[in-house]
Amino acid sequence: MILKIAWRNIWRNKKRSVITAASILIAVFLSLMMRSVQLGTYKSMIDNVVGSYTGYIQIHENGYWDKRSIDKAVVMTDSLMNKVSNTKGVEALLPRLENYGLLSVGDLTKVIVLNGLDFEKEQRLQDIEAKLVNGTLPKNPKDIMIGRGVASFFKADVNDTVVFLGQGYHGMLAADKLHVSGVIDLKNPALNKTTALMSLEGAQHLFSADGIATSLVIDKKDNAPLKSVQKVIAGKLDDTYEVMNWQEMMPELQQTILADNVGGLLMVAILYMILIFGIFGTVLMMTQERKYEFGVLVSIGMKKGKLILMVFLETIILSLLGVLVGVLLAYPIMLWKHYDPLVLPGTEADMMETFGFSAEIPFYIQPDLPMVHASLIFSIALLVSIYPIVIIKKLDPLKAMRG
Amino acid sequence: MNVIKTENLRKVYNEGKGNEVLALNGLSLTIDKGEFTAIVGPSGSGKSTLLNIIGGLDKPHSGNVFVDQVDIIALEENERINFRLRNIGFVFQAYNLIPVLNAKENVGFIMLLQHEPKEAINERVDELLTSVGLENQALKRPNEMSGGQQQRIAVARALASRPKFVLADEPTANLDSKSTAALLDIMEQLNEKEGITFIFSTHDQRVIDRARRVVTMEDGTIIADILQAN
Repeated sequence: MILKIAWRNIWRNKKRSVITAASILIAVFLSLMMRSVQLGTYKSMIDNVVGSYTGYIQIHENGYWDKRSIDKAVVMTDSLMNKVSNTKGVEALLPRLENYGLLSVGDLTKVIVLNGLDFEKEQRLQDIEAKLVNGTLPKNPKDIMIGRGVASFFKADVNDTVVFLGQGYHGMLAADKLHVSGVIDLKNPALNKTTALMSLEGAQHLFSADGIATSLVIDKKDNAPLKSVQKVIAGKLDDTYEVMNWQEMMPELQQTILADNVGGLLMVAILYMILIFGIFGTVLMMTQERKYEFGVLVSIGMKKGKLILMVFLETIILSLLGVLVGVLLAYPIMLWKHYDPLVLPGTEADMMETFGFSAEIPFYIQPDLPMVHASLIFSIALLVSIYPIVIIKKLDPLKAMRG
Repeated sequence: MNVIKTENLRKVYNEGKGNEVLALNGLSLTIDKGEFTAIVGPSGSGKSTLLNIIGGLDKPHSGNVFVDQVDIIALEENERINFRLRNIGFVFQAYNLIPVLNAKENVGFIMLLQHEPKEAINERVDELLTSVGLENQALKRPNEMSGGQQQRIAVARALASRPKFVLADEPTANLDSKSTAALLDIMEQLNEKEGITFIFSTHDQRVIDRARRVVTMEDGTIIADILQAN
C-alpha cells in the first residue's frame, strides 16, 4: 500500500514529476555518453600501447625495470614458465630479451635498443607484420629488422648489412654482422629512431644468453582482473622477481589518463550538482505542499517511519525512472558506437596514428558505467531525502494541520 | 464504564509571551461508552483544544487524561500514534481524505496500517460503504465526490477499525442541510449498531439537536452539561 500511495503521489503533479525525471534522464544520458567516449578512448589507448606491446603485466628479475641491464635477466626454467602459464587469467607468456648497443653502417654509428622477440607468440599481442614498411620478418638468427628512423639515419634498406656491437650477458662481448630483413614502422617517432628487432633465438645467441629473457610479458585474458592476476603471480614467485603491471611500468600513460579523466569527472560532477538542486527543488515543493497531509496521516495513526518510507520511495522511484529511461536510451547508442566506432577525421587521425594510437574510438560499454551512474543518482536521492525525513521527524501533526 | 476521563486540564497558548490564551482552565470531564456527545461553545472556548488533547494530538500543561484507562500523556510519540490508530477515529471539518486513494482504499487505509488481513478489510469496507450509502462510489477518488460524500467516507474511515470512540471536529461545518441530516443519521445508526462513542465539537444546531448529551464550554471550562432526550 505504501508503494502504491508513493507511486500515485508521484503522478499527482504530472508535469513536475515528468520534468524532474526528464532532468535526471538528460543528466544520465549525457554523463553516460561523455564517459563512454572518454573511457572508450582510454581503453583504446591502453589496448594500443599496453595491450599491443608492453603487455598488461611483466615479470622481471627484481630491479630490472629501474636498471634495464641484461645482467638482471630471468632464466626461463620450466618450473618458472609452468608456474606462470598455469595461473588463472593468463592467456600466454611471451619472453623478450632487450639490450642496448651500437649499430653501425659505414662511418655511421647509433645507439639502439635491440629486442629479441618470439614472433610467433608476439602475434597474440601485436601484428608486427602489418607494421612492416619493407622486407620480411627475421627468418634467420642473424636477421634484423630496423625501425624506420634507424633506416633513415643509416640510409639503409632491406638486404643491407649492419654491425652490432655491445655488451652481452655478464660482460660477454656481443658483436656481429647482421642482415637487414625488413624495415618497420612502430607508429612512434621516438621508437622508430631507436629500435631494432630480431628473433629471440638470435638475440640470445648474440648476447650469449641462451634460455634467458629480460622480461616475460603476460598476455592476460580479456575479462581477467589485472590486479588480481598480478597478485596471484607475485604470490607464486619469490622475491628475486618483480611482477609489474602496466601502470607501474608506464606511469606517464597512467598519469595522462588520470589528468584527462579528472576533466571528465569534473563535468559529470557539475552536471550532477545541477541535478541535485533540480531534485531538491521538487522534493522541497512536494514536502512543503503536503505538510498538512502529513499532519492528517500522523493524526489518524500512520507512524512517522512509514510516512518517511513513503516519501523516500517517491524520491527513489522518480530518480530511478529517470535513470532507467536514461540508460535505456543511451545504451543502444553506446553499443552501436562500440561495434561501429567513431573515427577521428583527417589530420587528427594522422596525428593519433603517428603516436601509435588508433584513430577509432570504440565507446565503453562495460555494465559498471551505468551501474556507477545509477548508484550516483541513488545517492543523490538519498541525500535529497534527508530534507523530508527531517521535516517529518520534527512534524507536529496539529501545527501541520493548522498550516 | 467511562471511556474518557479528564482531570483538571489546563492548557495555555503563548505562555509567557504577553498574549497568553488560557484555552482550558481546570477542565474535568468523563464520557461513558456509547455516548453521542456534542461539545459546544463559542469560538475560543476550548472545544478543539479539548478534542485534540483527548485525541493525543496535543498535551495539556497540567492535568490528566485517561482514555480507556490509559494515561495517554505519558505515552511516547510512537506509542501515542499507535494508540490513536487502534482506539480513536477522527473526522475532520475538511474531510482530509487521502487524495490519491479511492473511496474504498480510503476507508480501508486505517485497517491496512493495522495490518489486518485483506479479506477482513474488504468485508468491513463493503459493509461501511453500504452503511454510509456510497457502495456505488467505491472507486471514486475524493476529488470526484461532493463534500457530503467525502465526509461520509471520512466517517466510514474513522469507524473502519472499530475504534473505542470517534472524535469529530465540526464535521458538518461544510455541509448543506441534506448532507448534514444524512451524515447524522449514519453516525447515529453506527453509534447504536456498533456501540461506538461519538464526541463532536460543533456550532451546528442541527448536530446539537441530535446529540444525547450536550457539554457547553466557555473560557476553557464547562458551564453546562445536559442530557437530552431525542
